[in-house]
Amino acid sequence: MDQLEKMIKDMVLEQMGKKPATSSASLGGGYTHADYPLGEKRPEVLKTPTGKSINEITLDGVISGNITSQDVRIRPETLEMQAQVAESRGRSEFASNLRRAAELIEIPDERLLEMYIALRPYQSTKQDLLNMAREMREKYNANITASLVEEAAQVYESRGRLKKA
Amino acid sequence: MQFDEKLVRDIISEVLKNYNLGGANSATSTPSRSVSAASDIKFRELGTPTTGGPDEVFIAISPAFSLGQNQTISKLPHKDVLRELLSGIEEEGLKARVVRISHSSDVAAMASAAAKMSGSGIAIGIQSKGTLLIHQKDLPQLSNLELFPQAPLIDLPTYRAIAKNAAKYAKGQSPEPVPTKNDQMTRPKYQALAALLHIKETEYVDPNKQPVELGVSF
Amino acid sequence: MKSKRFEVLSQRMVNQDGFVKEWPEVGMVAMDGPADPKPSIKVVNGKVTELDGKQRADFDMIDTFIADHAIKLGRAEEVCNMCSIKIAKMLCDVNVSREEIVAITTAMTPAKICEVMSKLNVVEMMMAMQKMRARRTPSIQCHITNVKDNPVLIAADAAEGSYRGFSEMETTVGIARYAPFNAIAILLGAQVGSPGVMTQCAVEEATELELGIRGITSYAETVSIYGTEPVFIDGDDTPWSKAFLASAYASRGLKMRFTSGTGSEVLMGYAEGKSMLYLEARCVFIAKGAGVQGLQNGSISCIGVPGAVPSGIRAVLAENLIASCLDLEVASGNDQTFSHSDMRRTARLLMQFLPGTDYICSGFSGVPNYDNMFAGSNVDAEDFDDFLVIQRDLRVDGGLRPVSEEEVVALRNKAAKALQALFKELNLSIITDEEVEAATYAHGSKDMPNRDVVADLKAAGQMMDRGITGIDIVKGLAKAGYQDIANNVLNMLKQRVSGDYLHTSSFLTNDFKIVSAVNDVNDYKGPGSGYRLEGERWEQVKNIPAAVDANELV
Repeated sequence: MDQLEKMIKDMVLEQMGKKPATSSASLGGGYTHADYPLGEKRPEVLKTPTGKSINEITLDGVISGNITSQDVRIRPETLEMQAQVAESRGRSEFASNLRRAAELIEIPDERLLEMYIALRPYQSTKQDLLNMAREMREKYNANITASLVEEAAQVYESRGRLKKA
Repeated sequence: MQFDEKLVRDIISEVLKNYNLGGANSATSTPSRSVSAASDIKFRELGTPTTGGPDEVFIAISPAFSLGQNQTISKLPHKDVLRELLSGIEEEGLKARVVRISHSSDVAAMASAAAKMSGSGIAIGIQSKGTLLIHQKDLPQLSNLELFPQAPLIDLPTYRAIAKNAAKYAKGQSPEPVPTKNDQMTRPKYQALAALLHIKETEYVDPNKQPVELGVSF
Repeated sequence: MKSKRFEVLSQRMVNQDGFVKEWPEVGMVAMDGPADPKPSIKVVNGKVTELDGKQRADFDMIDTFIADHAIKLGRAEEVCNMCSIKIAKMLCDVNVSREEIVAITTAMTPAKICEVMSKLNVVEMMMAMQKMRARRTPSIQCHITNVKDNPVLIAADAAEGSYRGFSEMETTVGIARYAPFNAIAILLGAQVGSPGVMTQCAVEEATELELGIRGITSYAETVSIYGTEPVFIDGDDTPWSKAFLASAYASRGLKMRFTSGTGSEVLMGYAEGKSMLYLEARCVFIAKGAGVQGLQNGSISCIGVPGAVPSGIRAVLAENLIASCLDLEVASGNDQTFSHSDMRRTARLLMQFLPGTDYICSGFSGVPNYDNMFAGSNVDAEDFDDFLVIQRDLRVDGGLRPVSEEEVVALRNKAAKALQALFKELNLSIITDEEVEAATYAHGSKDMPNRDVVADLKAAGQMMDRGITGIDIVKGLAKAGYQDIANNVLNMLKQRVSGDYLHTSSFLTNDFKIVSAVNDVNDYKGPGSGYRLEGERWEQVKNIPAAVDANELV
């Protein structure tokens, strides 16, 4: 991998800030297994959700209150890098999972649990699921996951697994 | 070989008989069959249950309970088991209501459905093979208040103690859970038999049949 | 007259086990069921229109999910028409690389991969497994539970377990509401015995996810999937809800795998007349399609069912091998009680132990089986020394190491004391000095005093209401003077920022270095290649305390 090309890609990822990772597909697989583990080989590109460097996560930081539970979470950009690493080993399904995951980071824990429960059998009407998909797209820009939910709505309808009226 | 060979043969021959009759559903719901041949329990169908007051606990019995099968995996008669469950609830001064679940043979699904109908929000679910749990209406289906997965280890006093605890939850108390027995050798000894019994249970499932409340006399 | 020979035989442990004859009509058959579909696939405009003899219009939920998500379609039709014997031969041919095979197996249908498996005997399957497991280095997981849900004992047992070499540890509960305590206890104990060991708490899906989100667990595995639609629905999920859950875990930086196993569908009454292996193959494809990195399979909690029918234990090895062939991490069972017979349970273990898998046991009981709340394991704490000797006899790496009593006692004590201090810092229920002492020297919960269960459950509930997280645990430990453990717990939390351990077949070394199928790719290509038990590690395995040193003889 060309060093310059990689640097550019890194900078683009940095620039993405809070934007969802989906759009970075255009980066075309900048990270590979050669960069893995990122924590060892590329710590400079790893940030906490509040923008701190991964190396700032220290015991002193926790005790002083500088590091909170908000810091020990993953960022969409990191999941996108890991998705690219997975693809470099031929694991496209796993990479897709990581890209859906990148979209879900923004969704609060409680809402995320509710969404999961809504996808269980007989929990939602078709409209409930379609509304949820719309919420994912409009509020969280979670387009890949929204498609999965819409697909579920179709299948649940044809298999009689929607909420009984 | 510790299986009761005869029991296994009976189950196999009965289920095969059903197959010959043309499919898995053929054994279901001759609705007015109030008493099964060898069962000593008399059931009266009371229709679709409506939620009552906070002083009631539901007992959800499985599709084939005292219908296709009359004893648990450890050969306790269903009659005795049900009597202990009813007595345990009544001993705590609460009302026990028995409902047959036919849409699922899954014990969590049965109990969860019954808990949602129960005025106290508490229900016990029990399968023909004797597996049971205590459910509460606000819990996810696969969670529970207390679960007793190893049916071969449950004796009659334990059934009564479990029912008493269900009643205590209904009264808003936090009882000491009934100690779970654990014998890892139940799996190699009983699991395949449990599968056969559950297959037989499941043949009585009718996904479209609503829960029916039952009057019980012995 | 009764034969005395037969009387003796009838008393052998193996005759305590249950066996049943095949009954294919209800799915009581391990492999090659008469009603199993024949392999087929048709792809039109990039969409599967026929899968294993079914037209799209007739697909159930699972067929649809597999057709749309789980098969690499580029070579699907070509692979389906390849000779299954030829593929089976490639699997055990040391000259064909794992990579070449994965390109073929990930383009297969469930029926096709079953047809390939049916051509292999168990030795051939083991040869294939040695090559096909994703990670080069084999490893092992344990269960740490007890029948009283005693958290002090869990912490002590977890410290011992991680020190003995388990790289993942799993707890569960007798009483569901104990989950937060058990999860904290196993996390803390793990980081005392050997830093970097990952822990999980197997409970209901939503609770399990919440514990993970809070940083009290680092991975999850009891996310169950099933091979027929009615059983999946009884499990209160669908392939789509489980795929969403998989992404939810990854979004919180948590490692996860699914769980499935032969026999679950017949045990739950809806096998639809198909063989156990065919239904399990469908599960492996669902896992692949959902994009999880791995799968725990090998019948797991249903082992009594394949264990009771002919060729059942072969089918269990086949299901592990299918997972590896689909390039998934496999945590290969050997975790639930399977037989009364020591001979039989060893034979069952060797199927995965000899070739090595990503996690040979997905739950070696790190406690005596009477305390194992997964209803017992195929191997338990009383088998530790047997296992070590088998590693040494055969020069095979099962992942465990010899230990001394002094070291183990010291670590158990430290973990129990640290938990006592942490509970005090977090204002949870009281742990007495007497309990710490008992947990230090205990074999199991029979050696522990009883706790006030009602008080524990109340405190555990309050702990969840108060929103206690992994960071609070780090703080509490540091405040109580356990800087080293606090640091280790923090390092576990840090893993979720980099996400390196999300990848296929990961584990962490005791200096928090990642080993996974990304940087430790299985490169086995016959003698002289792949993982070999040698060097320092072999020295460690050789030196069991029971071995007599001639130099010390006077």
